[in-house]
Amino acid sequence: MRVQWKMGFRFDLLVFTVALLSSPVLSDLILSKVDRRIDLTSQIVRITSTLKVENAGSESVSQVLLAFPDLQVKDLAYLSAKPTEGKGKAKRSDVTLPVEAANPKGMPSALTFYAVSLPKALGKGDSYTFDVLAVFTHALRPFPEKITQADIQLVVFQDSAYYLSPYAVKVQSLSVKLPEARIESYTKLENTKIHGSEIKYGPYENLPSFSYSPIVVHFESNQPFAVAQELVREIEISHWGNVQVTEHYNLFHGGAQSKGEFSRLDYQARPTIRGASAFRYLVAKLPPRAHSVYYRDEIGNISTSHLWGDSKKTELLIEPRFPLFGGWKTTFTIGYGLPLKDFLFQSEGKRFINITFGSPMNELVIDNLIVKVVLPEGCRDISVSAPFPVNQWEETKVSHLDIVGRPVVVLQKSNVVPEHNQFFQVHYKFNKLSMLREPFMLISGFFFLFVAGIIYMHVDMSISKSSASYLVRLQWDEVQAATQQIRNIIDRCLTTHDKLEASLRDLSRTGDVQACKSARKAADVLLKELSKELKPLLSFLQSSSVAGQILPKVEELVSKEKELQEKVMVKHSTVVDCYEKKTGLRDVENRVASQQQKITALKREVENLLELIDEI
Amino acid sequence: MAPKPITSPVPDVWYPTLSVFMLAIGLIVTASFFIYEATSSRQSRSLAKEVLTGAVASVFLGFGSLFLLLASGVYV
Repeated sequence: MRVQWKMGFRFDLLVFTVALLSSPVLSDLILSKVDRRIDLTSQIVRITSTLKVENAGSESVSQVLLAFPDLQVKDLAYLSAKPTEGKGKAKRSDVTLPVEAANPKGMPSALTFYAVSLPKALGKGDSYTFDVLAVFTHALRPFPEKITQADIQLVVFQDSAYYLSPYAVKVQSLSVKLPEARIESYTKLENTKIHGSEIKYGPYENLPSFSYSPIVVHFESNQPFAVAQELVREIEISHWGNVQVTEHYNLFHGGAQSKGEFSRLDYQARPTIRGASAFRYLVAKLPPRAHSVYYRDEIGNISTSHLWGDSKKTELLIEPRFPLFGGWKTTFTIGYGLPLKDFLFQSEGKRFINITFGSPMNELVIDNLIVKVVLPEGCRDISVSAPFPVNQWEETKVSHLDIVGRPVVVLQKSNVVPEHNQFFQVHYKFNKLSMLREPFMLISGFFFLFVAGIIYMHVDMSISKSSASYLVRLQWDEVQAATQQIRNIIDRCLTTHDKLEASLRDLSRTGDVQACKSARKAADVLLKELSKELKPLLSFLQSSSVAGQILPKVEELVSKEKELQEKVMVKHSTVVDCYEKKTGLRDVENRVASQQQKITALKREVENLLELIDEI
Repeated sequence: MAPKPITSPVPDVWYPTLSVFMLAIGLIVTASFFIYEATSSRQSRSLAKEVLTGAVASVFLGFGSLFLLLASGVYV
């Protein structure tokens, strides 16, 4: 039957043959009640059908067939069935009935069938009620196809007023919900009512199987027709506490094509009239506690975005650089970080990420969605569980501080709608020690730097090992080392002197002569040892040919130190003697005063010499 | 067994503090390493001391720079 529909123009509708089939119907099911609701308020067409199936035959049936014309099937993005809630039938709404493609024999070739498996087989006379949600993309055809900036966008939707089914339908009704705007025209059949923005068809009773009566609705729709030709979502897991999501959008306006010129002035002045068909912003609903959100494109940051959030969600409103009219394209990237503990879990020795599949954008149609899950380096036994079939392959990605690259699970699906925004899981095994790879790389990097420094300082870089200057330098190094050792010895002598002085002070305070004497003894032993150590070093310096410059100073230093040592000893014995003979304090002071002067002078000289040697 | 959420081994909020302190310690040890290299003569230098100082400095600098990366949003 060829249907033509006139309204100043002609539509070639569906070429469809409703042969009242001579072949017997598969089973003796009948649909006792069908209630269909078509939601056309956005660019995505959602058809919810409540079906009440009844088994009129004698054999039990466990599958119900759903029929869609091929023309619709190519736009079908999502199909699900679930038991109708309430009335004690099935209260849990998250239970879905399995739906699979079916290919029954003896059916019209222009139809595609899906089979819904019922939770339990229907016996004779039993009935069961369930909801079928079918979501279509690109089902609203803009008409006219090209409009100017000032025009409103009109779209056409076609379907059947009768529920297309391989079963006979007893009672059925259809309601079409339109956006709150003008309705250009709609097909009027018997029992058609219009109520505000809702068109009601039916109820129709006792229709045979494969009844079909085309309806066309032509109406204004200025909803954003945002279609992502391609969306690449990259979900990167870091066990250091972050799940980074980066989304690359390649977006266009899928509505009526824009023709003629675009006037920014008109648009700016009266955006609702001169640009009704354009959309200027998109809203993304990000998960709660999203942080570090950015929105940019190839040029750089796009500043026209707004972010607000509460404990349940984070909302991101983004405005592209220009308003999008029909056919206009834009590309941009949004990215955000999510806390690890909200998405990564451990169970039975395996870790898994549990995150949504689709885009967070509201009412966005995605023609080709690629989800890449980038796992940390060192993950093994990777497996994916997705709630619907997806194409899947693996890649590797080399990122920060990687050696072999990170394993990437790529999931691809075409024709994605918000209904696909379901959680999927990627399971993998991970050894906790693998987390230390990154710090270990940094540590070894720094360590190589130090090793290079050490090697540079140790390796002899001179080319000719026999040249005179080289030999001189070697000797000079030895002289320096010897001088350094002499210095250290002198320093130790000086601290011993200080100790003796301190013992004298203790003596004047406590009057303990014995303690003072034992301190003297210890100092004597130590000084003797030090002078023994000093001897070979001095003789080495004397024998060395390059030490000529430094030798006199060192010798002077050693002799001065010896002198100082003697003076300190003399002073020490004098004071101790005085204490033993119990001479008056004043006497002691008088006797020591001259010695003390010499000691101070010598000390200063020794210090000066030390500085001089350091300079050389 | 119910799935258990996985968190980072070190709370995120500690990253800036940790990076500042570890880098400070690391740089101090690095400074002492180079001072030792420059001031000690070839004979009096001890390889063990050099390697030990270098190792300690690189551990602190390594973890410090890791936490610096994490604190600045580069989740490695």
